[in-house]
Amino acid sequence: MAHISDTLTSAAAGRQPVFRFVRVARQRALVLIGGGLLLLLILLALAAPFYAGDPRNIDPFVRLKPPSPEHWFGTDHLGRDVFARAIYGARISLTVGLISALLAAGTGLLIGVVAGYLRKFDNIIMRIMDALMSIPTILLAIALISLTGPGIGILIVAVALPQTPSVTRLVRSVVLSVRERSYVEAAVCGGARLPKVLWRHVLPNTIPPLMVQSAIVCADAIMTEAGLSFLGVGVPPEIPSWGNMIASSRLYLATAPLTIFAPGIFLAVTVLAVNLLGDGLRDLFDPRAKRRR
Amino acid sequence: MVAWFSAKAKKLASNKKGELNMSISRREIMKMGLAAGTALSIPSILRAQAAPAAKTVHMVISGDLSVFDPILTTTNPTAYHSLAIYDTLFSLDSKGIPQPQMVGNWGLSDDKKTYTFELRDGLSFHDGSPVTAADCVASIRRWVQVHPGGQLLIERATDISKKDDKTFTITLKEPLGVLIDILATTTSPLLFIMRENDANRPATEQVTSSIGSGPFKFNQALAKPGASFTYDKNENYVPRNEPADGYAGGKVVNVDRVIWDNIADQQTALAALQGGEIDFVEAPPPDLFPVIESDPNLELQVLNKSGDVYFLRLNFLQKPFDNVKARQAMLHLIDQEAFLQVMAPDPQYARTVTSLFGNTTPYSNDENTGWFKNGGDPEKAKQLFNEAGYAGEKVVILQATNIQKFNDAALLVASALQKIGINAELAPSDWGGIGKRRTNKGPVEEGGWSIFISNWPDQEIGDPLISSFALANGEKAWYGWPQSDEYEALRATWADAGSLEERQALARKMQGIWWDFVGAVLLGETISPTAHRKALTDLLEVPLMCMWNMQKVSG
Amino acid sequence: MAFYLLRRMVSAIAVMAMVGVFVFLLIRLAPGDPAVVLAGPSATEQMVANIREQLGLNDPLPIQFVHWMRDLLGGDFGTSIFSGRLVLDLLAQRLEPTLSLSLLTLALSVTVGVSFGILAAWRAGGLVDRLLLVFSAFGYSVPVFVIGYFLVYLLAIGTGWLPVQGYAPIGDGLSRWFVHLILPTVTLSVPYIAFVARIARASMLEVLTEDYMRTAAAKGASSYAMLFHHALKNAGVPILTVIGLSFAYLIGGVVLTETVYNIPGVGRLVVDAINNRDYPIIQSVLILTSGLYVLINLAVDLAYTLIDPRIRY
Repeated sequence: MAHISDTLTSAAAGRQPVFRFVRVARQRALVLIGGGLLLLLILLALAAPFYAGDPRNIDPFVRLKPPSPEHWFGTDHLGRDVFARAIYGARISLTVGLISALLAAGTGLLIGVVAGYLRKFDNIIMRIMDALMSIPTILLAIALISLTGPGIGILIVAVALPQTPSVTRLVRSVVLSVRERSYVEAAVCGGARLPKVLWRHVLPNTIPPLMVQSAIVCADAIMTEAGLSFLGVGVPPEIPSWGNMIASSRLYLATAPLTIFAPGIFLAVTVLAVNLLGDGLRDLFDPRAKRRR
Repeated sequence: MVAWFSAKAKKLASNKKGELNMSISRREIMKMGLAAGTALSIPSILRAQAAPAAKTVHMVISGDLSVFDPILTTTNPTAYHSLAIYDTLFSLDSKGIPQPQMVGNWGLSDDKKTYTFELRDGLSFHDGSPVTAADCVASIRRWVQVHPGGQLLIERATDISKKDDKTFTITLKEPLGVLIDILATTTSPLLFIMRENDANRPATEQVTSSIGSGPFKFNQALAKPGASFTYDKNENYVPRNEPADGYAGGKVVNVDRVIWDNIADQQTALAALQGGEIDFVEAPPPDLFPVIESDPNLELQVLNKSGDVYFLRLNFLQKPFDNVKARQAMLHLIDQEAFLQVMAPDPQYARTVTSLFGNTTPYSNDENTGWFKNGGDPEKAKQLFNEAGYAGEKVVILQATNIQKFNDAALLVASALQKIGINAELAPSDWGGIGKRRTNKGPVEEGGWSIFISNWPDQEIGDPLISSFALANGEKAWYGWPQSDEYEALRATWADAGSLEERQALARKMQGIWWDFVGAVLLGETISPTAHRKALTDLLEVPLMCMWNMQKVSG
Repeated sequence: MAFYLLRRMVSAIAVMAMVGVFVFLLIRLAPGDPAVVLAGPSATEQMVANIREQLGLNDPLPIQFVHWMRDLLGGDFGTSIFSGRLVLDLLAQRLEPTLSLSLLTLALSVTVGVSFGILAAWRAGGLVDRLLLVFSAFGYSVPVFVIGYFLVYLLAIGTGWLPVQGYAPIGDGLSRWFVHLILPTVTLSVPYIAFVARIARASMLEVLTEDYMRTAAAKGASSYAMLFHHALKNAGVPILTVIGLSFAYLIGGVVLTETVYNIPGVGRLVVDAINNRDYPIIQSVLILTSGLYVLINLAVDLAYTLIDPRIRY
């Protein structure tokens, strides 16, 4: 991890980090493809009301119909428009994915910096993280959701919470390696105040690996939501989410395959986009990997 | 630690005992007499030659068998389990007429107040002990505490006692014409005969020994809760001579072993059925019927002809459904055809239902149903909600996410309400959560509810003696707490209505009032065929699954 | 070293105690009621109240917690509220399928994943690397249950080559056992192979560009010796860590896979238990899995010191 931080320090110390970032990104196809796909999905989701129908409109008399001009992807077992639901489903999956990634990254960053820098709390914090991490994600999420009943808020917490320890561990390890640096030690000895040291030296080194990790968390979160819905404890069933759609269409794989494939493909493409973005970012932040390509 | 070891030891001991009983008991030998005695030295050889491969039937029951004591629960898996391992005094035949099962002879005194029952010969529990009158008396006493019909019996009875090992009597204050029907009930919990020791337990304490005198033995060693349960043929069971007819008649077991595989995923269950890994699926989802029908090895068969009535319970204690106009609005709003499209897409297995007494009972009628009959009139519903003074109060619909039909029906109700401007909100949770929340009588802001969805067997839904659905005694009634003193006064006269005609007339009157105050709103009736491989034949066509009589054709 | 071991033991116990409190509160504060599920859909309020009283669910929470902890420390994991059986017995019945599935998956994923990762790193940007990129993108992006249904349709229903569902105990014969586990193992391994391979690739890449590797290459060490002797040895630490950490992830996949293939394992036991609010089972399983996790990671930490002598405690 040490070499990553070193090169990144120099990168971050560049005079115009934003321009530099864009210039490098242009060379990085992965970031472009992943980021582009993700952006496209976000736009599609945001603009849904302008072109997709009503995803919640139930009509039992047109259930399980094949694709037609009115229903591009056909209808599901309650006669709802599969295309509209798949498009609106992007909102849920992306919201769950992005917010839980932000939440996990934010919480993990905070806790990780504290644990890594204030050694007094390190042990207790890391043991709590161990405790959290030691319970299988899906089981922890099911248990959490059964506490309040299904809902998007609780789902996001349930998905983010088990992801927090991995971020915390990552941040802590970066902090630990950075604080051994001579210039950081020098700054501390020189009487710099702690927040300043953290701000100047630790954060810049933490952000890049954190972004990579956030992409992983985001992809995981989207998959976890789908898995929880498959088990019947995800987003409330009236809300169109890809996980819900797949779960409630399991029986129709043979008769109305699009009810599964449409959300399945959207899900796979979204996770793929996030993963590509994550990979791209890692290559971008790790010039040694770049050099080898 | 000690507790753990002793429990473990007990379990081992009971297993051991079970094994010993596999061999023929001395009583059996005496009963079989001389002729059988001479044959006794042969059977082991005979069996070795005659028995081809042991006939094992794999079944998938919907729902999990989690309680082994029929007195504690009304769930179907427990009823099926109990029908296999326990026996009953009387059983209903296919026409719904009670026939003696464990009882050999019975008689009624001239004043019609004393019933005398004598057990037939050859009855023994799986542990080898004979079934005695004392076992029956203890089982009846435990059962009357939980069964609505039993409660009626105990109110009228002055004495239930044994006369000798095989004879017991029930003495009444005044005649009760339906007594035998009550003893033969097929409404859970059925009157199963347990050992006296088991039956002496409080009705709230689970009997887990699963030792009965029925045609199957529960294999404790192979019991894997949540995974599979195994039932072995009870070689010592002596069936009646009559052919099987409904629940009645001889319980002849034609297979060696039945295994219940718990397959939670319906897609997986169907795949296993197609692959021949299992023989029977109790409740395949309606949308898979075409797949089953197109498979040459499989067939659908309706065992439960009575069907299930789905309904909405409305909360009578809270706004907006404390107002009768709002409840009547729901009758106008609900279009049963729409619900049936989703819950039972094949019209062969769906029918509308407007009678409080279901479609299949002699009491079914059309009194006071004309004004809402077809439902599906949102304008009228909207108008009635307005007349009820509806002012945007939140309507909370409990949605059982782990029961497909309840889940979908809740979505449909919410959608129908939202379309006429009602502030309807779904409260999703699994059935366990709903079971708890529906007991809350408070307003929705305090965790209460407005609507929940459930179902009831068609044959029983309106039965004034045993159905808690059909009560209307306010806060003492079933969830929703409907109240109508007029209706209750009529219901109280049911048990004494002598003839079928009298009861039919009474039923019309009761139903007339019921639809005025709208005790509940019906969504439609579905019939659930079972799916099985064609090699599995002679299944009994009864609402509660029975495992005797069926045959498995090999090959 | 002994001191370190002791300290890790103490902290492991602390972790599990925290899990204990957490799990207890989580489950008990949930809104569902096991008595309701037990009593069935048409039960009356009185029937439900009777059952609740009998199960001791009316006792105050702290008393329930003390009772539970006391029993737990005495090795008594309690009795299932539903089946009336000892939780330990139930777990014992379910352990074999879950262990079989997990260990087979682990074995398959680590062998395939690590080799895949090493080959990809060795010729970064080459065919294998690109293949890994595509495979891992796929493995990461398609949910386990979709892969499962797909494989079932393709290999079981279509051809009848493999059993569709179920589990055969190892006692019924090794081949039957293995045949039943092929599809579930492959299904569960897809994302896991991708996962292990990517970690292995990343770790190898780092090591391969270290100065000492260049030195070794300059000194004329052959490629294979380099790859497997120096590089793998150094990349072993992060790979091991990740395998240890992903234990919980594996269990999550096990739950889904057991559902798809109807394998009567621990995962399904606990999902059913959560639906039924069967407190003793949920608590025991969560405590035991977290205990197992803590032990595995302790072992991994110790393995560090063996693999990479530079790490000292």
